[in-house]
Parts: sequence; structure tokens; C-alpha cells
Amino acid sequence: MKTPLTSETAGTLLQATGVRKVYRNGAVAVVALDDLDFSVERGELVAVMGPSGSGKTTLLNCLSGLDDIDGGRVLVEGRDLFAMSDGDRTQHRAQSMGFVFQAFNLIPVFSAAENVELPLLLVGVPSRQARTRAVGMLERVGLGHRVAHRPSEMSGGEQQRVTIARALVAAPAIVWADEPTGNLDTKMAASVMDLLCELNASEGQTIVLVTHDPGIGERASRLVTVRDGRLVSDSRKPPRSRVATPVG
Amino acid sequence: MYPNLTPPLVVLLATAAGLLLFLVVRGPVLRRLAARQISRRLAEAALIVVGSTLGTAIIVGSLVVGDTLNRSVKQDAYRSLGPIDERVVTADPVAGELVGYALANLRSDPRVDGVLTTHTEQAAAVVDRGGAQVAQPRTVVWDTDFALAQKFGDGGAASGLVGASPKAGQVVINDALAGDLGVRAGDTVTFYLYGKPTPLQVIRVLPARGLAGAGLSGTVNRDAFVAPDMLMSAAATTGTVWPRTVTLVSNVGGVESGNVHSDAVAAKIRETLAPLSAAGTAVETPKKDVLDAAKKTGDTLGSLFLFMGSFSIIAGVLLLVNIFVMLGEERKNQLGMLRAVGMKRSRLIGGFVLEGAAYAIVASAIGTGLGIGVGRAVASIASSIFRSWSQDGTGLDITFAITRTSLVNGFAMGLLIALLTVLVTSARISRLNIIAAIRDLPAAGGRRMRVRWLVVSTALAAVFAVAAVFAVARGRGADTYLMPALALLFAVPLLARCAPTRFVYTGAAAAVLLWCLTASLVRPNLYDDSSMATYIVLGVLLTFAAVFLVSENQSIVLRPLRPVIERPTEAGLATRLAVAFPLARKFRTGATLVMYSIVVFTIVLITQINAIISASVDGQVREATAGYSIRVDYNPNAPTTDPATAMRTGSLGQSVVAVTPLTIATAGATDPGRRTTAPLHAVAVGLAPQALDTGFKLQRRLPGLETDAAVWSLVGRDDRYVVLDPSFGSGGGPPGEAFRAGDTFWLSDPTTGRGQTKTIAGVLQNGIPFYNAGFSPATAFPVVLSATAVRDQFGLQAQVSSAFVRVAPGVDERQLRSALQGRFLSSSLVATSIKDVVQRMFAGTRSFFQLMDGFLALGLVVGITGLGVVMIRAVRERRRTIGVLRALGFRSGTVQRSFLMESSFVALEGILLGTALSLLTAWLLYRNSSAFSGLEGGFAIDWTTISILVAGTFAASLLVTLAPARRAASIRPAIAVRVDN
Repeated sequence: MKTPLTSETAGTLLQATGVRKVYRNGAVAVVALDDLDFSVERGELVAVMGPSGSGKTTLLNCLSGLDDIDGGRVLVEGRDLFAMSDGDRTQHRAQSMGFVFQAFNLIPVFSAAENVELPLLLVGVPSRQARTRAVGMLERVGLGHRVAHRPSEMSGGEQQRVTIARALVAAPAIVWADEPTGNLDTKMAASVMDLLCELNASEGQTIVLVTHDPGIGERASRLVTVRDGRLVSDSRKPPRSRVATPVG
Repeated sequence: MYPNLTPPLVVLLATAAGLLLFLVVRGPVLRRLAARQISRRLAEAALIVVGSTLGTAIIVGSLVVGDTLNRSVKQDAYRSLGPIDERVVTADPVAGELVGYALANLRSDPRVDGVLTTHTEQAAAVVDRGGAQVAQPRTVVWDTDFALAQKFGDGGAASGLVGASPKAGQVVINDALAGDLGVRAGDTVTFYLYGKPTPLQVIRVLPARGLAGAGLSGTVNRDAFVAPDMLMSAAATTGTVWPRTVTLVSNVGGVESGNVHSDAVAAKIRETLAPLSAAGTAVETPKKDVLDAAKKTGDTLGSLFLFMGSFSIIAGVLLLVNIFVMLGEERKNQLGMLRAVGMKRSRLIGGFVLEGAAYAIVASAIGTGLGIGVGRAVASIASSIFRSWSQDGTGLDITFAITRTSLVNGFAMGLLIALLTVLVTSARISRLNIIAAIRDLPAAGGRRMRVRWLVVSTALAAVFAVAAVFAVARGRGADTYLMPALALLFAVPLLARCAPTRFVYTGAAAAVLLWCLTASLVRPNLYDDSSMATYIVLGVLLTFAAVFLVSENQSIVLRPLRPVIERPTEAGLATRLAVAFPLARKFRTGATLVMYSIVVFTIVLITQINAIISASVDGQVREATAGYSIRVDYNPNAPTTDPATAMRTGSLGQSVVAVTPLTIATAGATDPGRRTTAPLHAVAVGLAPQALDTGFKLQRRLPGLETDAAVWSLVGRDDRYVVLDPSFGSGGGPPGEAFRAGDTFWLSDPTTGRGQTKTIAGVLQNGIPFYNAGFSPATAFPVVLSATAVRDQFGLQAQVSSAFVRVAPGVDERQLRSALQGRFLSSSLVATSIKDVVQRMFAGTRSFFQLMDGFLALGLVVGITGLGVVMIRAVRERRRTIGVLRALGFRSGTVQRSFLMESSFVALEGILLGTALSLLTAWLLYRNSSAFSGLEGGFAIDWTTISILVAGTFAASLLVTLAPARRAASIRPAIAVRVDN
């Protein structure tokens, strides 16, 4: 169990400076991130917003090391992501990061428990222990009764909860969520957001989520707006406003 | 091959082409859809075409083998017969002259363009080469009048006998003899005519075609033409023996076209010669026989390869099904949308069919070209094998040939099979749930069969159950396997209503598997009909049932792997993924498994049969030779001391322990196995009473006769009983038991027409030593009976012209053969090592099995391509999953390893399944099939070949997966995990 965030443990988790990302398609070059500076403090719930094509997802991909960058530096827990080899970066991802995607992206041939234990097994946790922790995490997200079910046997909301459980089970330093509620109806979306906010609030889990939904952005501790590959606004809110709201 | 199939195939093809054209013209949307789908992924389209090409290539290759063999055998008609369509051979010179006179009237028949009477005799031809003699004891000497010959048939040009007749002291020889002796015009050759050395000067060497290549039994004849009537003059000096008088008849038309009149002309000759029949005037239709034999040989070999290739064709069909099922899955969303916006199911099918037809047409066209190459390769290897089978070493010269009929048939068969596969698969794919397809939800599984279909299926199960009872009661052939399996298959929907489906599927598959493996125990005569269909049905049922059983129970099969799968390491996870996907895609994995196992099953089975036969060669040689080392064949007309007697005297007496003379007569017979109504060429081989119990082992005896000695004793004292070779009347194909001891057949003398019903008292274990006895043609099946019986039935035609020789211990057999040929040169004696012949036959058989293995290996290409296609598709389908795994911490190397492990798992499972089934089937065949009865050497397993096959197939499978695995590893997670790919 993660220790709740205190002033002693607080500090910069991620520091990105001068990040540049250019997509090239033949002779056409599109600047997706343009000399972008960005940092994330431990325990923050950061919502990245912006219009379509503004560079939100690219920002997430580049800062998490899923995609390469064309310039700049990204330090996560003091380590330069792009100074690492692909193998080291992959290992670093396994140890320090969790991911939640819009399309759930569960392994279709694995059960919920098998999907959730995956990150644990990747960092060498013994099978039995990994399974116990995975089941525990599924219970935590309210899916104790769906442990043996495959993704195709679950609703979208349930699948996204499994994804969240998978993202959190290895206690990563940071969770990246790309439109985590994009494929869900309002009720499910609120429920998933409640879960994320609750985890952030109770366990100090650092979460960076990309969304185009202003309602979700409202619930984040920090709201960052991206436009044309640049940060155009960055505002923090008092913790109180992040308390779960009734779903209606 | 199969000209009778061309009209229906062309009609079907034209119908299919019409329908496709209709779709192209009337369906612009479908046309555009199909064209765009093809051009969207050209590399993949190319792979689909490659996979689909092999089916047509195998069909065309098999037909081309048939054409080539047909043409090659026909060459004998061109080479050794030329214008000769019918002939009458008489041993009695007076009768011969009468025949000549009687048939001279035929010249006025509009169907006949030549009648020629001449004489022939076998003699040894010898030349002296620096003190060493070079001899050809099988020389056929003719005393033909060249002037008359040049008027014989087709304006005389086809006779081949150009120039003036040789004069006394001169000889014209053909190039076959000139080549053997190493002589040319101007050289002197000594001919032993009736024992008397006669030196003659060669004045011309002619190509061995037409009359210049003619003979009475061989396919390559070493001919010598002496002065007209010289043979009669030479024989007259002996006063006891005469040359055979031969009256040749040529029909109007060329070598093949003249054959159409053969039956009518032969009937007229028989009618004309009816008053002379008692004198022994056999009417032969050699060209018709050769052309019929050509067709039979071509058809037999061609269909054998086609049948063997059917396993690969089935694999090709499965590949096509798999490809289209995957295409359907990949395009599920598109198809759902098309249905949603109002496209009818039939049009959806039409779109798929158009796309499939484009692949199929290109694949069939390429496959036809490839098939020509395959056929050529197979035919050229087959030619060397046939040569090794021939006792006189002449064998069969392969003349590569392709007929338009075969190309049309092969292309049409390949294309129609592909189109039908595409049509059926498309119909299945188009049955989709629109919402599930659009939203990428899993299709609702386990939909129950409609009641009316359940009733139909149950009724069919009942029909097949009744048919199965009759089939099993008969206990022969494919039906015994097929009917119970079909009954069970159609009963499955009903059973599935009563019990859990997995239980029903497992039970049904296990039952079919068990039946296929044990049917031969219940019905031991299952393989006696020598039908390839039995083996094909067995192979297909075994592999499908086994794959189904394994697919339904993979969790149990993989239990031993659990410790590896559950390891909390990246490698363990990679293994878990490697098996999880194939298990989740049951149909796709099952189809790939069948592709592998069905081809491996066949190859290993052929390898195993070869291994069992190879292990038994020593025993077979011992049994076939029965202690005799040499067989001698000689011209009985040479008035020298009978070689059979002379061999036991003088210097040879110390080397020869025993001589068993053989009384030989040309015979005709009906097929005791009732496989054909056409008369069979046979040679009656008579054993002297004291030599009857020679030690030749029998594999089957008349009921009541407990020992081989009892059988030989019966044959010795009762003319009605004979012993046959197990291959008597066989036209090729797998071994069987077409006839049994106790069966009867008609044995006749073709020169007199006299015949008798004979009863089979026993069947030889191996009759090879009796073939070609007394220079009889290789196509004549031996009938062994007592010498008295042969003389009684065949009269003057029966002559002692062969003998088996038992050699004293320590004697150099090769030297003895050489000494015998030298000593009896004047008798044209040829000494043959029986052991060498038997061993050469076995070597040829083994080579043929290896050729079969090579041909079948083409099927492996289908399986391996199939796996490659599956893995390429898998990478595309799993892009997002791979992206997630990479995001979660999977290294790119682990992704690659996981893909390689996945293909290894499928390939290995298929290979091992095929191998295990094959070994089991081979063992059951060995234990129960009559084809293996009495074989010594035990159940040998050719581990070396099997290991090479397994390792080679596995390595090739890994190789085709390497590229997709690398591509999977290089997928960038950031792109892969995005919602819109």
C-alpha cells in the first residue's frame, strides 16, 4: 500500500524541458510538440486538455517514453528517459509507470486476473504472489466477481476498471491515462473518474490524464491546456475540489 | 489425362466464369471493393496467391506425369513397331507359309496398307576386340526382303529398312546392336545361327525404328537383317528346328491412327486363319497392346501421384479457408457497416468471391506453369527408377509430354476447387451479427442449430449408420472407415443437445480416431482392394479427428508446460502468450494443425513403409531366390547340348550344385482378382516334378494345405492347380490381396486359343525370379505349374528355355555367369543374378517411395506458407496488444520471441501429431495388412529420415515466422495503442 502524500515525500517526479516532436509524412512535417517544458509533482492529478490535434496524446506518449522525441529531455525520477537504451526504457516503464488507454487495450486472450498480474510478473514478482495482488486489486476496483472473466465477457466500464487495476497493481510512480473515459457512457465515465480521483486522493498516486471533457478536467488538481504543441495554460486547484461528486 | 473429364470441367468453368462476369459487370461496388482490397496490401495478396498456387501445381504436375509416361510407353510403338499393327507368329514353317498366302488377300482391304511375311530367330552376335570377345546374346535376326519391306505400310517410308537387301555374307544391323557391339559398316560380326558361327560383314547401320527396330517381345531390340531366306537355309542344315515365321500386317494411317482399325482387322485375320488355328496361328495386336499399356501406365502413375497429392490439395484448400476466415475477421467492421447500410448478404458474398476469384485465377495460371515443372522433375526421376526395374537394362526412355487436355483439366480443377472453397467460406463469413461486427464485439457463440437442420442431420446420421453396418460387414476399403465416421459426424448436433458440447466433440473425435486405428483389427481385409482411396480416407479422418481432439483439449495437452508458462519472468509471459493466442483462435490453429499433420502423416507413412521394406530386403532376397543364385535363359532352337544338362558336366559341374530347368510357354490369362476383363499377358513356367518343391516360399496356400510342400505336391500331380505371383494382374498402386488361394482363372494358349480353368493352389512370397523367364516380355505375369501341365496345354510352343542354377559354396558367381555365357554363346545364353535382380527391384521401389516423399513435400510448402500467412495476420490483428505489452514493459526481443514460440508451438504440435499418427498407422498396417505379411526385419523406424523431416519442417516454419515476428517487435507502442490504427 502506498504511503499517502506528505510534504516529506513531495517533489518533482517528471521534468521535461524543450521537448520537440515532429511527425513527417513525405515532404510534409507536422510539429506536434514545440519546445515544450513541463513538470509533474508527486501526488498530482494532472489533466491535459486541448482541441483535437493539439498534441495531447503525443505529449503523453513522449513523456512516458512510448514514443521517441526529436529534441529536449525528459527526466522521470531523475533519470533521463531518452538517454536509456530501448531495453532500459522498457524496464523503467515496467517498474515506474502504469497506463490506461481509451480503448482499454486488455489482452483479449487473458482473463481479468491474468491481465492485471501482467505488470507484476514483468518485474519478477512470484506467480502466486502476483495472482494474490492482482485479485486484491480487482476487488479494490470492484471487480472481485470478474476475476476469471475475459475482456469480451465484460462491459466497457468493467474493462476500463481492469485497465486501471493493471495500471496500479505494480505501484508505479506515475499512471498515464489517455482519454480513460472516452469509450464510456456518462455514468461509467463518472465511476471511473471517481476511482482515479479516489486513488489519487487516498494513496497519492500520481496520474496524468489526457481528456477533452471539461467535466473531467474540472476534477483534476491541475489543469494543463495544450494548443499547437505548446502549453498555453497551467492552473492548480485546491485539493477540496477533487472530492468525488455524486453521479447524476 | 482424363479426356472424359474435360467437357464437364469446361462447362463448370464456363458457368463460373459467366457468374463472375455477371458480378463484375452488374456490381460496380463489389468490383471496386474487391479491386481495392487486393491493391491495398499487394504483398499479402502475393502471399495468398503463392499459397493457393500449389494446389493447381500438384494437380497439373500429376497429370503431366501421366502424359509423360503415356507418351514414353507409346514410344515403344514408334520404335519397335512402326507400321506393324497386327502379326501372326508361327513356329511351324509350313503353317507359316500358309498364313502368308492366306493373308496376302488382305492387301485388297481398304483398312490395310501392307502385308509382309518374314522369318526371325534369336542368335548371339559376337565381335572380336583385340582377343576379347564382345557379345550380344539377345540379337534378333531377320531374313526380310528389303524390297518387299519398303512397300509395307504408309508408302513404305515407315519401314525403316532402306537400301537393298543384304546379300549372302552380308548383314544390316540397327544402331542398338551396333552400339552394344561397337561396330560400324565394314566390320565383321559373327552370328551363332543354330549353333553354327556365321561371320557376316556389316554393310549398313540403320536407326532402330519401324521394322529396323522390330522384335517379338522387347522394347529395345538389337536387330540384324541377313539375306532373304538365309534363316530358312541355315535351319534346313539342322533339319530339326526352324525359325519362326512372322506375317506382319500394317493398317492404313500413322503409328497411332492406324490403331483404330486394329480390332476389325484382327477379327478379319482370325476369320481368315480359322482353318489353320490347330497349327498354332496366334493373331497378335502388338501396337494396340502397347498403346493400351501406355494409357494404362500413364493413367495409373498419374492418378497415383494425383491421389498422393490430394493430401497437399486438402492442405491447400484449408489454407484458402484460413486466409478468407482471417480476411473476414479483419474486415468484420467493414462488413458490418456494409450490411448496416443495406448491402444484402448475397452481395457481400459476391464481393468476397470476386476478390477470391482474382487470387484463384492468378494462382491457377501460375500453378499450371509450376505444375509443368513439377511434372517434368518427377518424370525425369521416375525414368531412372524405371530403368533400374528393367531386367535387361533397357527400361523406359522418358519422353516429356504435356497434352492440352491435361493443362485444361489441371487448370480447371485447381480453379474450381479454389472458387468453391472461396464461395463456401464467404457464405460462412457473411453470416455475421451486424451490431457485433460494427462494435467489434465477440460474435454470439453457441447458437443452436435450427430444428429442421437438426432433423436433416439426424436423418443423415441414421442413413450413414445403416450404410456403415453394410460397409463394415463387407470389410473392404474406404467405406469401412468413412461410413461410421459420417454417421457420428451427423449425429453430433443431436448429441450436443443432450450433453455439453466439449464432451460431445471430444467423444466424437476420439471415437473416429479409435475406429480409424483399430478398424483393421476388426476387419483384417481392409486393404485388400489395393485402393488409394482407402489410404486417403484413413489419412484425412485420422488427422482431422486427432486435431479436433487436441484442439478441444489443449488445456490438458499443455498441462506439462504449466511450470514454464507460469514462470514469473518475461520468458514465462512470452510462453504464456505464445500458447494463449493459438488456443483462443481454435479454428485458425486447427486448420493450420491439419495442414501440417496431414502432410507430415503422409510423408512419414511412406517413409515408414519404405523402412519396413528396406529392413526386410535380406529376407526377401533369401525367399525370392530360394537358394538359386542364377537364372539362365537361352534359345532352345540352337541344336547344341541342352545347357541344363551340360551345366552339370565338365568343368562347370564343380561350380554348379543343381539346375532346375523351366519349361516356358507364352500364355494369356484372365484376372483372378476380377479387376479387369481385358486379357492379361502371361508366361507359363513349368517346373519338373522332382524340382517342384524348390524352396520358393508361399505367402498364401489353398485351405487345407498346411505346408508349402503340400502345395507344390498338388501342383505336381494335378494340372488344374497353379502357383501365382502376388502381383499377378496388378496395374500398379498400393499392394493388396486381389485374389486368394482357391480362386480360379482362365489360362489359354494364344497360338491355338486352347484354354483351361486353373485354380490357385498358392501365392508366392515373391515371384520376381520368374519374370522375363525364357526372354518373355517384362509385362507377362508368370504362372507357375508343373512342366507336364505346360507341355500338355501348350504343346510345341512349350520349350525348356530357362533354368535356375544353384551354385556351389565359395564359387565366384560373377565369374560363373561369365563362364556360362561364354560356354553357351551359340545358344544365346544369358545368365542373370537373381539376387541382383531382386535387390535392384527393391532399390527401385525404395527410390520410388523417395520420389513420392519428395512430391508430397510440396504439401509442406502449403502448410509452412499457411503458418506464415497466419503469423502475418496475427501481427496485424495484435498491433494494439503488442503496443500495450510494450507499454507495460515487454521488451521488443520478448515480443519477437513470443511470436516465434507461437509458430513453433503450432508447427511442432502439427508435426508431432502427424508423425505420431503415422507411426501408429504404420505399425497397425505392419501388424494387420496382408501387404506386410511374412516380411522379415521387424518394424523398423527410419528415425534419420523422420528426424530430418521434423527438423527441416520446423526450421522452415521458424524461418517464415521470422519476418512477421521482427515486424511485431518493431511496432511502436505509442502508435499501436491509439484507438484509430
